[in-house]
Amino acid sequence: MGTRWRTRNIMLAIANVLVPVAALIFATGFFPYKPFVPGLAAYHVLEYGEPPIPQFDKVIFMVVDALRSDFVYSHSSGFRFTQSLIRSGQALPFTAHATSPTITMPRVKAITTGSIPSFLDVILNFAESDTTSTLANQDTWLAQIKNKRDGNGKLVMYGDDTWLKLFPNTFERSDGTSSFFVSDFTEVDNNVTRHVPHELRADDWDALILHYLGLDHIGHKAGPLSPNMVPKQQEMDGIVHEIYEAMNTFSHLNSTLLVLCGDHGMNEGGNHGGSAPGETSPALVFISPKLKTISSGKESPTLARRDYDYYEKIEQSDIAPTLAGLLGFPVPLNNLGVFIQDFLSLWNDSTDQGQLLLRNALQILDIVKATLPNEQYNGLTSKADCDDDSSPGAELACMWQEIDRDLKTGGLAGPQNEVTLRLLFKFCRRAQDIMSSTASNYDLSRLMAGIVVAILSLILTGLAARNHSVLTNLDGAFFLLNILLYGIMMFASSYVEEEQHFWYWVMGGWLFYISVRKAQKELSVSPPFSFEGDSAPEFLILLALHRITQRWNQTGQKLAGAPDIVHSFWKQYPMLLWCFVALTYFQAMTRIGNHVSHYLKAGTLVGSACAVALCVPAFIFKLAFTASDAPELLVPLMGEGGVALFQGLPLVSTARMIFFLIASEIVWACASRFYIKTERIAKRDLITILHTLLTLFLLTQTRATNIPLFVIFQNQEFILTALALTPTQISVSTLLLGYTSFFAFGNSNAISSIDLSNAYNGVSGYNVLAVGVLLFASNWAGPIYWSEMEHLVVPTKVEQLHEDESPFFSHIALLTLFVTVSLVAVMVACTALRTHLFIWTVFSPKYLYTMAWSIGFHLLVTVGMGGALWLVCGGSENYGFS
Amino acid sequence: MAVAKTDAINVLNTDTAKLYTHIHPILVLSAYYFNFSSIVADPVSSLIKFLIPLNVLQIAYVVICLPATGTAQPPPVLKSSGMKPAVQKKSPKGKSVSLASRITPALLSLTLSLALGTPLLGTILILFGAPLTTHIHHTILCAAHISLLSALPLIYTHGIDTDKWRRIAALMIPLDEVFGAAVGTCIGAWIGAVPIPLDWDREWQKWPITIVTGAYVGWAVGKVVGGLLVKGKVIDLRP
Repeated sequence: MGTRWRTRNIMLAIANVLVPVAALIFATGFFPYKPFVPGLAAYHVLEYGEPPIPQFDKVIFMVVDALRSDFVYSHSSGFRFTQSLIRSGQALPFTAHATSPTITMPRVKAITTGSIPSFLDVILNFAESDTTSTLANQDTWLAQIKNKRDGNGKLVMYGDDTWLKLFPNTFERSDGTSSFFVSDFTEVDNNVTRHVPHELRADDWDALILHYLGLDHIGHKAGPLSPNMVPKQQEMDGIVHEIYEAMNTFSHLNSTLLVLCGDHGMNEGGNHGGSAPGETSPALVFISPKLKTISSGKESPTLARRDYDYYEKIEQSDIAPTLAGLLGFPVPLNNLGVFIQDFLSLWNDSTDQGQLLLRNALQILDIVKATLPNEQYNGLTSKADCDDDSSPGAELACMWQEIDRDLKTGGLAGPQNEVTLRLLFKFCRRAQDIMSSTASNYDLSRLMAGIVVAILSLILTGLAARNHSVLTNLDGAFFLLNILLYGIMMFASSYVEEEQHFWYWVMGGWLFYISVRKAQKELSVSPPFSFEGDSAPEFLILLALHRITQRWNQTGQKLAGAPDIVHSFWKQYPMLLWCFVALTYFQAMTRIGNHVSHYLKAGTLVGSACAVALCVPAFIFKLAFTASDAPELLVPLMGEGGVALFQGLPLVSTARMIFFLIASEIVWACASRFYIKTERIAKRDLITILHTLLTLFLLTQTRATNIPLFVIFQNQEFILTALALTPTQISVSTLLLGYTSFFAFGNSNAISSIDLSNAYNGVSGYNVLAVGVLLFASNWAGPIYWSEMEHLVVPTKVEQLHEDESPFFSHIALLTLFVTVSLVAVMVACTALRTHLFIWTVFSPKYLYTMAWSIGFHLLVTVGMGGALWLVCGGSENYGFS
Repeated sequence: MAVAKTDAINVLNTDTAKLYTHIHPILVLSAYYFNFSSIVADPVSSLIKFLIPLNVLQIAYVVICLPATGTAQPPPVLKSSGMKPAVQKKSPKGKSVSLASRITPALLSLTLSLALGTPLLGTILILFGAPLTTHIHHTILCAAHISLLSALPLIYTHGIDTDKWRRIAALMIPLDEVFGAAVGTCIGAWIGAVPIPLDWDREWQKWPITIVTGAYVGWAVGKVVGGLLVKGKVIDLRP
């Protein structure tokens, strides 16, 4: 191998090493770790004396997961009793704005600390085992309540075990439920409800937390319009009723506040995570007979002002300081919430009202001072208007000076009280706005450093691939145009949200392009009126298969929830689905049987035994998993009894057994190539064996409704292999098919589309690495499948390349070029648009996905697994990659 | 090679033809432009209505400007001068005969492009991602417009010879204003899909308005480029 190629190989290797370096440097600047003030807050000492007396001594905090505002307030709601309380003034309704990411853990953090959790919590939400994300050391209203009565406060918790993970050793009594199978609508809630009667009779607790998951499960499973939705709302309403009756009956509960709220909402498809109005608008109701004194009742049910905005809209973080005031404890240290104005009139004394708000403001001022230490907060510059101040810091400082001046002249008491209250509210709201917009938190130099490293990687790839035969032909031009369009697209939020359309569109064009190339070649050699070698039917089939995959799962934002094959067709024809699933497993079984009998030369008997031992448990596992995950797909097949039978099977050990068997056959196949000198297995046969085993693993990680996609993939692969594509065409096809399959599986660039259901196959405890690998494999199953096509097809096509050029080098060079360009484009887009309205909702999730694509998929799968296959399968025999 | 090479189509050598071939795209595009707002407001009925002026204009175009299949004249460059056409033009008898002999194939091409081209192009549109379970009328009308723009002149000039059409499908005939317009229509329709995902929420983003508009613009561009800039060249994609 000449030095020229050695240099190019080294350049490409360095470029690939730089990819994760760039991605991580950028990430640390883009998702800064938000420091929090440790310790518990204590009351500021004020000249107005002791803090105002609390209005309530106990709180029942009832979270109904994904309780969107209209589920409680609209005309079609099942919360009839709650609505009657709103009408009578015993309940105060709000819409509590939840910031993106709208998933449970960051929302619970916001509700309990009053702060806005950083976007990084999304990742921590999936890796929630470790202590970095717990709130054990943070100031929350739970910690404050526990600290009451000289540290003898007692808390009780039933429901979602997220609370138990976030607050270890906090609860006196608890029973966690985990949302493992979203098909469970009843059991998960009954496990909470059965504790309610005896806890209502117990008088030892200060806070009772209930977190119901059933409504969220119904949403995930069947959307907000599911026929199960209203009955579930009625069930939740019944619990409100039960608690309300107890509050009136039991004397130990007569000064108790009931808070009913959602942690987030859901979109039209029943999912959440993003920032659609439905996802960010959960309901929030404060209930107590005492509230009658401040409310004469509100119209209920009622209409939304717009997009799920019912009644007054407040921030979710406002819950923490409001509870602090109502229950009488200091506002948690990291709180950015503002005391809800409506509750001020519970205190008759205007000084008390002012004090409550002043304590809230002082606590926020501490954060403002810590974040913007360079401003002058105590000066006495007399400015008429603070709005024209240039920087947000100066504006807040000016507003505080105004308050300071006002307090010194008039104080909280007396006629000036109303002005002071207004100033305090204005300051708190503005500070909340400014401090929660994270624009000031970007580390620009790191963002720049990340971009520079990524560009360096891009240049190195370009140099390594320069004048390379894969780029200097027409296919290369198509590929470069594709990259260019993709890069431009990353700057438009709609194209990021609807990225699937790009790939579907390009794929159509690509199939047309290669079919015309093929036809021209055939027509220029074949005689007229001869249809021999006509490949038009093949391309029409490819296009048709591509069209079917497009409609498999509706994804993106615009069409979320629209009918598609998975959500409409299979529901109607579950038998057909299972025919396809059985066919897929049967195909895998015959293949494995053939491989073991012939390639591994173990004989027909052993071959059949191996095939049955691998595929029958895998199929049974799929049935058992579906029986728990989506029983409605199996009931028409085997009836309720059959489903119950399969639900009883042990999922974890079955999955472990399948993984173990797959792994052992991989070891066997590889060993027979390296350690058995006689009758060595041929390298192509080894690749085929590994591909089949990988497919079986991916099937295990795929939902039943998506499994028939593998039948489509296998047909596409069969046709493409027969078409004798050039190496460049194979690389481009791999890229396009990988991306189209990713979106066809139902993925998108939104956090809400991550499929967690298969991430725990065979995992009983918590294991970050295992869950991470399984999560990645289940979401990237399509791209992983296609990444192997290169190895299945290329070695026969080597003669088309120049001498010395390793086909694997060209393949990696092309794909690295794509990865580096997309990385640079996304980074530049995120930096340039960092003040854009959609930065946290569209571009940040996209950056996380780009990291997963470039590090997880490109480096680990395409380069890592692909390189290993290349070496194991003897790519180095004739044309090495060294 | 066994097949005689297809030559680029030349516009008939009459003054009317040479003039009208340039006026035609302007007429079609302005008609489309003036109907655009009603197409946006009510795609199905407006696209049906607009088929009539499009038909009339396309028939007029092929009859006035293009040689019907089998009557293609040898390229003028091969002639010593413009004598013979000039003689033809002066003969009233010859003109009327050629006009009648042109209208029949024109109507035949219209029928074929509507009856065969529309379902075929509709199927291709669906394979390329057009909605199947909804908007089926929209898609059929979109196919009809694309067919009238691209297929009608192609059928008129090239006939229905299977082998010829295989070469057309493989883009293997020389570019001229007819074939250029057809290629432009298809590329335009494909590019027309680009604005659909944007979150501008405009009425014109709805299916199939951008596709039809892309087809019309692509058709006009392709006709001009094919007829003037790259005439006679062949799109060679052979590996």
